[in-house]
Amino acid sequence: MIRLQWKPLSTVDDAWAMLQTAIGVEFGTLPPYLYAMLSIPPGENVAAAGRIKSVLLQEMIHMCLACNILNALGGDPVLTPPVYPGPLPGDIGPPGGKPLIIHLLPFSKDAMAQGMNIEQPEDPPDFPIVTMLEAAPPSAVTIGQFYTALDQFLATLPASAWIPNRNQIDDSQFFAGQLFPINGYADAHQAISDIVSEGEGTPNSPLDFQNEIAHYYRFGECFHDLVLTKADNPLGYQWGPQKLGIDWSDVYPAIPDPGTHDFSNDPPAAQAAQAACNQAYSQMVDALQQAMTGSAGQLGIAVRAMFDLRMAADVALKTKLADPSLVAGPSFLCPPPTNPGASS
Amino acid sequence: MSVLETPRIYFSGQLAWDPIVTNNYSQYYDEATSETVFPTVINKVAAFRKEAIDAVVGGNWNPQGTHRSNFFETEISGANLGAGDIQSDPFIGSPAIFMGMLVDLEPYGTFTSQLFFDAMSFGIAGGYQIAAPRNSRITSRYINFNRCKFGARAGIASVVWQTCFAKADGLRIDAFDSPVLQALKKSLVADDVLGLTVQFNTYRTIYYNDPVNKTPDLIPSAKALTAKLNGGGWQPNPARSMVVGVIGLWRVGEPVNEPCDRTLITGPDDPPSAPTVSSLHARLTGDSITLALSNTISEDGLDLVKHDFDELTVVAIDPTTNKPVTLASFGYDKYDTAAYLKSSGIVTLPVDPKIATMAATADLQLRNASGQVLQAEAALRALPLTPNLYMNEGDTQNVQFQVYDRGVAAGAGIPVTICVMSADAGTVESTFVLTTAADGTMSFEVQGTQGSITPYIALPGPDPTQPTQGLDPQVNTFAYVRVLSADADIAKLPPTFENVYCRVLANWNAMAPCMDNWLNLGDEAQVRSFGPLIKKLTNEAAFEHFRYMPVTRDLTPGARTLLYNFLDSPPAAVSERMESAAPEEKPAHFAKLSRNMRS
Repeated sequence: MIRLQWKPLSTVDDAWAMLQTAIGVEFGTLPPYLYAMLSIPPGENVAAAGRIKSVLLQEMIHMCLACNILNALGGDPVLTPPVYPGPLPGDIGPPGGKPLIIHLLPFSKDAMAQGMNIEQPEDPPDFPIVTMLEAAPPSAVTIGQFYTALDQFLATLPASAWIPNRNQIDDSQFFAGQLFPINGYADAHQAISDIVSEGEGTPNSPLDFQNEIAHYYRFGECFHDLVLTKADNPLGYQWGPQKLGIDWSDVYPAIPDPGTHDFSNDPPAAQAAQAACNQAYSQMVDALQQAMTGSAGQLGIAVRAMFDLRMAADVALKTKLADPSLVAGPSFLCPPPTNPGASS
Repeated sequence: MSVLETPRIYFSGQLAWDPIVTNNYSQYYDEATSETVFPTVINKVAAFRKEAIDAVVGGNWNPQGTHRSNFFETEISGANLGAGDIQSDPFIGSPAIFMGMLVDLEPYGTFTSQLFFDAMSFGIAGGYQIAAPRNSRITSRYINFNRCKFGARAGIASVVWQTCFAKADGLRIDAFDSPVLQALKKSLVADDVLGLTVQFNTYRTIYYNDPVNKTPDLIPSAKALTAKLNGGGWQPNPARSMVVGVIGLWRVGEPVNEPCDRTLITGPDDPPSAPTVSSLHARLTGDSITLALSNTISEDGLDLVKHDFDELTVVAIDPTTNKPVTLASFGYDKYDTAAYLKSSGIVTLPVDPKIATMAATADLQLRNASGQVLQAEAALRALPLTPNLYMNEGDTQNVQFQVYDRGVAAGAGIPVTICVMSADAGTVESTFVLTTAADGTMSFEVQGTQGSITPYIALPGPDPTQPTQGLDPQVNTFAYVRVLSADADIAKLPPTFENVYCRVLANWNAMAPCMDNWLNLGDEAQVRSFGPLIKKLTNEAAFEHFRYMPVTRDLTPGARTLLYNFLDSPPAAVSERMESAAPEEKPAHFAKLSRNMRS
């Protein structure tokens, strides 16, 4: 479970910092989910690939919504590519424990368990928010609780704290109905509610606000290879009996954490494939950075780069390493953004 | 019968449309030859793409679309099990999940929109759910250009869409404790129930995500999109519509692709075009009448408030007296916006059983409070069983119609006049008369002699009024046939990359820049590496599939042969990029203006 540091918020600067952490967390989930999805060959494990893809797309939306909120408060989002293996931004781990180290894993039970760990809601889900706001010392909270605390603080801000139409990304081109501008607290509250609901479900239900399965449970379906099914029991649901039909062997033999792999001993084709992946990833991050800070047209350029990354990954995942039984997916390595914002 | 009987389930929400529209214009695409009309310059693909972008402000609103169209914010909104509309079932609120490819059979026109898709579902796996694979593509009919007169561009129109799902072919209903789904599942058991019909109405289409009243008001948004397109990347610009829909039973004898109940079309009093009461369908039982007003009552503005026509009345013209007899009257509260969204425009009204008996064989009319006839029944309707037919030059196909008499399959001996229309459906070019067989059907052979698009309007009954003003989709029933050129000369070309690019791939590369997301069509190595997939997606057997390629369904046999010959051939030692090659000589097409709705 991701546990994020939370401190009592008292200024807009505090909210900026918290939102920047949120953006980092949402961004940080994309490469591991993408790595797992890309490692499934086309036409294989369709049900699982579909579930991972659906989560991935919603995480992209969550990142955009978090950027929209920060922009509306006058901040400038910074997209800092995470390093894998490594913790997500702000993860301080449970009390007495260590942060969750996120790996790039090919599709596997471990990868699905990692997804569940990232998305796992607190148990019980109705964490007493009032207690959190009153707590003076830093505390560790789940992603959902983190957002809830942020939402509570944003509710206290005066209307003048919000800057309408500042660097907002809407759904004109992508994600119809799911991506909307933030022009005030009501919009921010809606965005945060959507993010939490899609990630963790609603209290006492695995369904999100759209009556679809929340992320944690979509990964759970893959992990258990069972469809989460309505049931006549106190919890209302059970795993199965319908299976997803996962074949864990229908996966490219991709190494984990390619960013830690030394490709210098691998065939030139493998090195070139990695370079192409990193180039596309860098272009994507650069364009996203610009899109989130006022250049809306760059979003289309980022999406194109995302497709380039997919193509490059497809090549990489079919290119043998020095050990011919192995391949590598994208390492998700790129230089830091050249145009950092002011809110970090 | 149909979605107008019970049980029925309602849904509502929105639909995003992302078609490429560059091929709507004759200066960019030849719908007869299925070829892109390239500028006569060296780098013809790049130049074409630039022209398409430059045309955005003039109306080419989505040169980088994908054709993908999907429901969003769409969910089950209610149901009716026969005792009134209900909003309390646990299935209500479940998401409607649909993604299809929007393709017009006639690229220049608006009468033949279709959604190619693989599956549709309401609810989710593991929960309350209706899910089914495709039985037939979704077809649009009854396009209503008077519905939203306040809209910009084609946003003035609303459209009825329909398809059916066979219970014997993978239809699944997971009812759990939902009374609505339990009732629907139980109803499917009957022998004369083939499966489910899904019908929906799309309306208030907006462009650039910018609800405006006049097309010129979109120019700033068009300029902004142009700037994005010139900046690179992938810049789709989906339109979006509101949608209300209904799921009901599909019974033996009912058509797949359009409503078949009793049909009320433009009446003799010629009501005003805006605000307007347009065509509707009705189902009469022994003691009630159910009206489908989903495509009927116009809204007054972008806030989508339904126009208040005061009280409306359904009458039957008593055949013995030739005078109207009231079946039912209803006020604004039955068709206002709230009622419309609650029951997808379907209204059930009680009828005196005696009057219902008379009305079973009498013409229905919908009248306003002053007695003006707004819509009048056309008892005989000839509905196409092959509404949008594709065929190849040299092939022969049957175009078949089923004649219905007051919503029921008719019998033998009914004359049906077939009007063969010009490609733009504006002119009757010839007519011939056929007679229905015992089952009420009639058909005729069409021979594909050359690349072409031909509408056929079917007019049942003696001495029909011919569509001298052109096809009126609110009034006429019709089938369209698109013949793809054989292109035998292309098939015979040496299977070099130069030839396959110039004659096949460049068409896609120019018209569909979104292909860049998947494949560089100008790169021989990439094309070859994706050869097996390309062959799979372009196979004629995959024509109905969501991912069929090209999405526009205009790959000619000759072009396919050349493409396959190339993909099956060994790589050439040296291949040159076609962008540097001199373009083929092509005729210029600058004279035709695109049709009104496309500009």
